[in-house]
Amino acid sequence: MTAPVLEARGISKSFPGVRALQDVSMTLGRGSIHALLGENGAGKSTLIKVVTGVHQLDAGTLLLDGNSVHFAGPREAIAAGIAVVHQERNLIPRFSVGENILLERLGDNLLRSVDHGAIHAEAKRWLDVLELDVDSRIPVSRLNVAKMQLVEIAKALSLRSRVLLLDEPTASLTPHETVVLFGLLRKLRDEGVSIVFVSHKLEEVQEICDQVTVLRDGRNACDSRSMAGLGRQDLVRLMIGRSEQIPNWSVRDRTTAEPVLELYGIATSIGHNGIDLTLHRGEILGLYGLIGAGRTELAKSILGIYRITSGEIRIGGQTAHIRSMAEAIHCYRLGYISEDRKQEGLILMHSVLENAGMTVWRKLAGAFGVLTDRTIRARVEPVIRQLDVRTPSLAQTVGNLSGGNQQKISVAKWLAAEVSILIVDEPSVGIDIKTKAYLHGLLRQLADRGTAILLITSDMPEMITLADRIAVMDEYRVKGVIANDRVYEGMSERIMHLIHGQEAA
Amino acid sequence: MASPTPTELDPSSELDAVADRGPLLSRESQTLRFLLSNEFGLIVLIAIFAGVFSLFTPGFTSPFNQFTLGRTMAIDIMIGFSMMVVIVTGGLNLSVGAIGVCAAIGFGWLVETLGLPLPMALLGALALGATLGTVNGILIVRSGLHSFIITLATMSIFFGVMVFLTHAEAFRIIPPEMSAFGKMRILSYVSPLLLISIAVGVLLTCLYRLTPLGREMLAAGAKAAAAELSGVRIGRTFVICHSLSGVLAAIAATMVVARNGAAIPSMAGGLGQDWLLPAVLGPVLGGTLLTGGRVSVFGTFLGSAFVTTLTNGLLQFRVGEFWLQTWLGGLLLLAVLIDLARRRYLARGGRRMA
Amino acid sequence: MSAALSRVLQADWFGPLAIVIVATLVIGSIEPSFLSSFNIQILLLAVAVNCVIAFSQMIIIAVGQMNLSVGAIGGLAAISFAGMMQVWGLPGPLAALAALAIGAAAGLFNGALIAATGISAFVVTLASLSVFKGINLGITRAQPFYGVPESVKAFGNTTFLGPIPWLVLPAILVVVAIMHLLNRQVLGRHILAVGGNQSAAELSGISVARTVVWTHAISGTLAALAGIMFVARLQLGQPSIGDDWLIPSFAAPVIGGAVLAGGHVSVSGTLLGVVIVAIITQALVIFRIDPFFVQVVLGFLILWAVGINRLREIRVERVLGRI
Repeated sequence: MTAPVLEARGISKSFPGVRALQDVSMTLGRGSIHALLGENGAGKSTLIKVVTGVHQLDAGTLLLDGNSVHFAGPREAIAAGIAVVHQERNLIPRFSVGENILLERLGDNLLRSVDHGAIHAEAKRWLDVLELDVDSRIPVSRLNVAKMQLVEIAKALSLRSRVLLLDEPTASLTPHETVVLFGLLRKLRDEGVSIVFVSHKLEEVQEICDQVTVLRDGRNACDSRSMAGLGRQDLVRLMIGRSEQIPNWSVRDRTTAEPVLELYGIATSIGHNGIDLTLHRGEILGLYGLIGAGRTELAKSILGIYRITSGEIRIGGQTAHIRSMAEAIHCYRLGYISEDRKQEGLILMHSVLENAGMTVWRKLAGAFGVLTDRTIRARVEPVIRQLDVRTPSLAQTVGNLSGGNQQKISVAKWLAAEVSILIVDEPSVGIDIKTKAYLHGLLRQLADRGTAILLITSDMPEMITLADRIAVMDEYRVKGVIANDRVYEGMSERIMHLIHGQEAA
Repeated sequence: MASPTPTELDPSSELDAVADRGPLLSRESQTLRFLLSNEFGLIVLIAIFAGVFSLFTPGFTSPFNQFTLGRTMAIDIMIGFSMMVVIVTGGLNLSVGAIGVCAAIGFGWLVETLGLPLPMALLGALALGATLGTVNGILIVRSGLHSFIITLATMSIFFGVMVFLTHAEAFRIIPPEMSAFGKMRILSYVSPLLLISIAVGVLLTCLYRLTPLGREMLAAGAKAAAAELSGVRIGRTFVICHSLSGVLAAIAATMVVARNGAAIPSMAGGLGQDWLLPAVLGPVLGGTLLTGGRVSVFGTFLGSAFVTTLTNGLLQFRVGEFWLQTWLGGLLLLAVLIDLARRRYLARGGRRMA
Repeated sequence: MSAALSRVLQADWFGPLAIVIVATLVIGSIEPSFLSSFNIQILLLAVAVNCVIAFSQMIIIAVGQMNLSVGAIGGLAAISFAGMMQVWGLPGPLAALAALAIGAAAGLFNGALIAATGISAFVVTLASLSVFKGINLGITRAQPFYGVPESVKAFGNTTFLGPIPWLVLPAILVVVAIMHLLNRQVLGRHILAVGGNQSAAELSGISVARTVVWTHAISGTLAALAGIMFVARLQLGQPSIGDDWLIPSFAAPVIGGAVLAGGHVSVSGTLLGVVIVAIITQALVIFRIDPFFVQVVLGFLILWAVGINRLREIRVERVLGRI
């Protein structure tokens, strides 16, 4: 390996109540593309934020060209030649594309004038490099997500830095855009730039990276070893600590059970059209699609959050008009586990008791509308115990629990509400492997007991493990529904074919 | 730069979090937490200042001063409650003063011009407060805008309409029972108004602790999206919070009328702006989070009581009423700074334990 | 052509400009004296002073905060200005500079507290409003300073080129300076970047704290300037100057299309917002409607403006969401 450009040695970082990184090391060689892998919550983003000065490290050293450095803020990291594309969008929506690309380089002299002409000329160059056909003068807020992502990459490139960190840069890119980006990254590498590449798509990592660091639970599972000779299964084993295991559950067919949720020709105000779906008692119906296919939005339309403009929903055979989530829960016994636990699933600043009992407050209120903690506790405690939530007490603030335990609480509140139809949206985002397996077992168990489950997930193995039938969505339409035979290769091919095959037609 | 919530980080600390923090969060640290709480701090402060004032100013402990202090305290506490119930939602109600003045004037008009009996007029005033609060709530929920700008506008509208209708004239013919109630003393020290504030405080505590509605208010204030997806009707909840704020402002206003023996349009300054500082001081000193979702009724009570005690004492000291506002503003700054230091200390303590 | 037309129709200044023209025509045709030289002079005076107040709030809105103490700073600067001339006999320009410095210092105080502690601007400026107003009352004991020199009085009450008051000059300077600042200067771009997306700005190497402090210093300076202009116009240092600035200071930027969450303000829109408020106030006087009614109209104007802005946002979101 060539001389290291950036070296992280024994990095530790804690947040109140949580150890995010413990004794993590990574060595970045000159002119290399270095994969940083790990499950959600393993600490990848935290490491990137420590390296780029967003977070201050608690222990350990950062070496740049062999000299110890300390970044008090992003500005100092940028000045030292480290550019980054963070996972979350970091653009100023009302600023022009050009100004966003060159925001770092507006300069530090506050009283200097801004030369908009020069900015756009310079920005145009970087857009051309990325083969991005966008007018640099329009505001960023008018772009779609993929273009925004590319603008962020252009922004990082424009700094001409020696170290470039990309956190999930391809998440919302089309295959063609990805190819262009990879070509560019290879060119930069050959020019001597050191690149850190974070991605969940292992195929991409294998295609483009020559070094790899894997984090597991905030520690090194491997530290900067060569990519050569590592196969997909080896990477997975490093990431999760053992090889991928898909429980070998039997194929089920519940289509003969009575239908509990039926959609006929549903169209919504946000663009769904002609959606027909039937969910049977005890069935797990998967809803697969790429990000932006309209799955979460469909779920929220069923729940009365978005308006349904035509078509009919039947629940238990009766026509249903759901106007709000409150009606969905109390009149139709529908529940929804959100993909966005922090914003929509839980109230992190409130206690376990409050969170798990929220869905049943109205039901539990006694005479004169009085509702004591004791009443809620009686209802919630058995569920919390059943789910084996690790919490010192029901009074514990949910924000202090781990991701896995938080997810158990967002399940618990629907168990407490005793719903008969449960919509589950990306249940295993940001939770550890053990809890994930546990949740899978739990969902299966619920279905066996008669709960109808509509499962939304982008995780193909999860989908094929759990679903009885899989409905494939694309562009706010259902492309087809296939029975799941639980053979991974064949199923994933047929699903992708449904998405892309019709695209070509 | 907001530090990330612990959740997005690491499942590995699961064991640490439970094993270390659970048992170790012992009696000791719970006592520490209580000693560092707003409520305890306020009790100590009130005791210290009351002690100093009674030692160094002759008038402070006199029955009459204690009576007027209690009366003013009662009003300030109600004003604080009126703001508090909206802060719970993460919002603000700048129009508390304007609603209060409207309710007071409405009350004066009902008894003086319409000649309604006192209970009816009181009910009418509260209903007016509730209506104006509801208007705020509906505008905020329907428009989806922050309550700051909406209540800024309605503050101007409510007050403007009131002055336009009354031509800024006061209603001075108030039923004698009302004025007598304002002057009444229990055991020569205590104003009955203070008892009303205590009763309202108890009711509010029950609301938040013992009813689904109160819990829903806190849930909706903490994270509206999460609450909505768990079946809380957040729009309705927010409107109720604002209506309640209007009612509490109206109660405060009728207390002012009882004290003054008249309903005067200028009782809360231009646009009712003079109520703003006491309204925010009470909840903020008492530890109610401005971002919503957490409330301390007792804290607000103590916070307002502390401010009133301090004001009264400073006046007794003859610091000069002109400088009083500076002291109060400085006090608010000091209070939020101490609160910040306290929270940082607790957060650091929490990490050490982990 | 139609694209250009729709751009004009969607511009922040279009709605307010249309209102100004229609209102002028309607009021002028009913009551011709509305367009008299005297009336225009009164209008210009009101616009000159109020637009400085509005910009003092607008710049804070741009960074995504609010400043309740605009009026208190203006009042403190006003009585300092008058007081320094009366008590210490300072010449007008020197006293004005000192008063501007006081305003800047007051703004710095606000900004530094907000940036250093992270406490919400609402609480900090509510507290400092009380502090500044208290200092004002403590110094003046609620009595005005009358000893304002003739030169200052003349500046506030004479005109040039017919009906144009001299006070318009500092206002024009402020308009040009703010426009240049927000469009063409690094600081201005930083202010809008922080208001538009604070964490993105921070990650792009912009110092949020420094930007916030500067913004508040500018706001304080502008509030002080407005206070000084008030003294020149009223010919005395009235302690109550600034008491009723809060609502108008928000009304004009909001009418002008400012986004309260920050990141977007319009200088021309705000200026037109000030003109609208001035025309309505003047119309109420001309038609002998109770001046208290101004409050009601102002309140409805704010509601109407934020409603329109919100509708526009929703429409943009809808267009973006489905393309």
